[in-house]
Amino acid sequence: MQTTASINRSLRATRRRESISGYLFMAPALVFFLGFVVFPMFMCLFNSAFRYTLSEFTFVGLDNYVRLFQDVKFGKSLVNTLMIVLVSVPFTCLFSLWVASAIYQMRQLYTSFFRCVFYLPVVTGSVAVTVVWKWMFNPYYGLLNYVFTALGLISKNLNWLGSADTALGCIITILLTTSVGQPIVLYVAALSNVDHSLVEAAQVDGATSLQTFWRIKWPQVMPTTLYILIITTINSFQCFALIDLLTSGGPQDSTLTIMYYIYHNAVKLNNFGYGCAMGIILAAIIALFSAAQFRLAKSGS
Amino acid sequence: MKKLIALFLCLMLVLPVAAALADDMTTEITLWTFPVGGFGDDEQVQTLIADFNAVYPNIKVNVEYLDYTNGDVQVTTAMEAKTTPDIIFEGPERLVAVYAAANALVPLDDLWTDEAMADISAGVAAACKDAAGVYYEYPLCSTAHCMVIDKAAFEKADALQYIDMEKHTWTTEGFEMALRALVEAGYNPTGLIFCSGQGGDQGTRALVNNLYSGKFTSPDFSKYTMDSEENIKALTMLQKWAEEGLIAFDPSINGGEELALFVNGTSKMAFCWNAAIEGLNRDKLADGVELFPMTFPTDKGDPELCGGIWGFGIFDNGDAAKIEAAKTFIRFVCDDPVQVRKSVYMSGYFSVRSSVTGLYAGTEKEYLDTYAPFVQYLGDYYQVAPNWNTQRYEWWNLLQRVGAGGNVADEVALYIQNVNQ
Repeated sequence: MQTTASINRSLRATRRRESISGYLFMAPALVFFLGFVVFPMFMCLFNSAFRYTLSEFTFVGLDNYVRLFQDVKFGKSLVNTLMIVLVSVPFTCLFSLWVASAIYQMRQLYTSFFRCVFYLPVVTGSVAVTVVWKWMFNPYYGLLNYVFTALGLISKNLNWLGSADTALGCIITILLTTSVGQPIVLYVAALSNVDHSLVEAAQVDGATSLQTFWRIKWPQVMPTTLYILIITTINSFQCFALIDLLTSGGPQDSTLTIMYYIYHNAVKLNNFGYGCAMGIILAAIIALFSAAQFRLAKSGS
Repeated sequence: MKKLIALFLCLMLVLPVAAALADDMTTEITLWTFPVGGFGDDEQVQTLIADFNAVYPNIKVNVEYLDYTNGDVQVTTAMEAKTTPDIIFEGPERLVAVYAAANALVPLDDLWTDEAMADISAGVAAACKDAAGVYYEYPLCSTAHCMVIDKAAFEKADALQYIDMEKHTWTTEGFEMALRALVEAGYNPTGLIFCSGQGGDQGTRALVNNLYSGKFTSPDFSKYTMDSEENIKALTMLQKWAEEGLIAFDPSINGGEELALFVNGTSKMAFCWNAAIEGLNRDKLADGVELFPMTFPTDKGDPELCGGIWGFGIFDNGDAAKIEAAKTFIRFVCDDPVQVRKSVYMSGYFSVRSSVTGLYAGTEKEYLDTYAPFVQYLGDYYQVAPNWNTQRYEWWNLLQRVGAGGNVADEVALYIQNVNQ
């Protein structure tokens, strides 16, 4: 009996030591996570209940949320943001899957070349990318007007970023060029890891290319697809730098996104409490979208 | 070896104490400056600080530079985090209307001596104090924001006949005739009413207000008055000219981009201009572009220009020694008879003191004297009106809506509703 008890004690001590070691290994990341993610989230929630400006800090309960749902501009920014998400997320996934499917079986050198080409806008600073695009969209001497006029597609120069009809499309286009790089790299890796013996077996059984892709490859890249969907959705919801550098939400609020409107209220107008309330709503919307995507992907697989 | 280590450890303990004692002899202050002429150039600012330290060696001045894109965010973040600098160099629209309104600045009434009051115009003094009459800014320099035309293009289009070349003025009717002449001569675009953001918005405000002698705010700056008959008429006229192709609203550019398009010869006039901007751009002009600064066109021939006043404010960081050191620095830069001339020259603008004149004659900045007469056209300094930040945002949104063909009266009513809350 004494022997069993001492073994149990020893086991418990070992488990305790392992737990302590585990927590110690986690500690640095945990400190950053708590300090820079959890704490600001709680502060945001807390501040959203106050009329919080440079000179005022008054408890207002849910007033900021009520005001938010009566704010026409917030409604516009929500619609614009959803438009960006609904266009860019499916396009990014499909385009990157298509490109990855085309390049992953090429010789290593070519695959690497294409990966680099598509990844370049990701590693290039967003300011640099934006400056180049702004020059291309310039209504007076921009490349786009020059090319389109030469091709006979337009008869006179268009003000791409200055027209409410085209500005959001321009923003989505730039967003796509900076968004597809990482999904392509991930899909190339995922497709390379597909069990080739299953593909060969399907081909021997007479499966077409489409059937092979849909029945064999697609289920195996589903976890990657889920990750790409969620990351792209979050990035699209948080589209800010392009708006700030190119349009400031205009013209006529046609490119106003929730992230930019939060920045505008909290930082430019110093309505910190109102900005926090919007941040909470945005976080809730992103969480809902991500949960829906998880559920859809699970049911799909 | 042990003795050496012991000695080293003792020194480690003693040295910080000695350093702290030495530090007691020096007060260290921090200056944040927006890029007002040479105040954005480290070499010139360090020269100014060296001149200051030659007289006051026991005050150390650290300097950090802000820009107009991110500067507001940096300052308000610092205010929230209680990490503001000791001194800040900017205009009343920030110092008085924002920072002082948030109780972040120290009153500077003691700097406004009788001598200063007698030398500085009442208009400038009024802009440097809040509604309660407490001064929060001590001014150094000012300028009148104006517009500029490409004289060579106007000459070719035979449009100079619509301009009073001596007074740099023109009428609203003459402006329209000049636009028509430019378009007929094949110049397109003529002028661009920029409205992608708030940068340079003093130019578009002055353009609209001057066309039919409207006012931007009430005389006591308590509310905005863009809904006056004169201002609605002006916006309607601009909309009409835009529909006729005489001028263009451009929601894809801001003031900086507008003047870049003027400097590179794309447009033939710019609404965002002043003396210092000429200094920054005269070496970048495209071939054939000839600068000629102008007041804004007006129906009655008495233009009113928006003013820029730049000076110092002191953040209340609770350290009396630092506040006193900051005041010493400000007195030196703005009041010292020799230094004030250097300080204003460095800014590229004009002194707020009537006794400080003739700064640029015979110097490499002699061209700035062209702008001295524009000061007589300075209008109200209304930038201290309430909700100023909101107003700036709503202004370029208003121009975008009007430029897109919106009903002027309705759009102005929406603007007024948003800014006069």
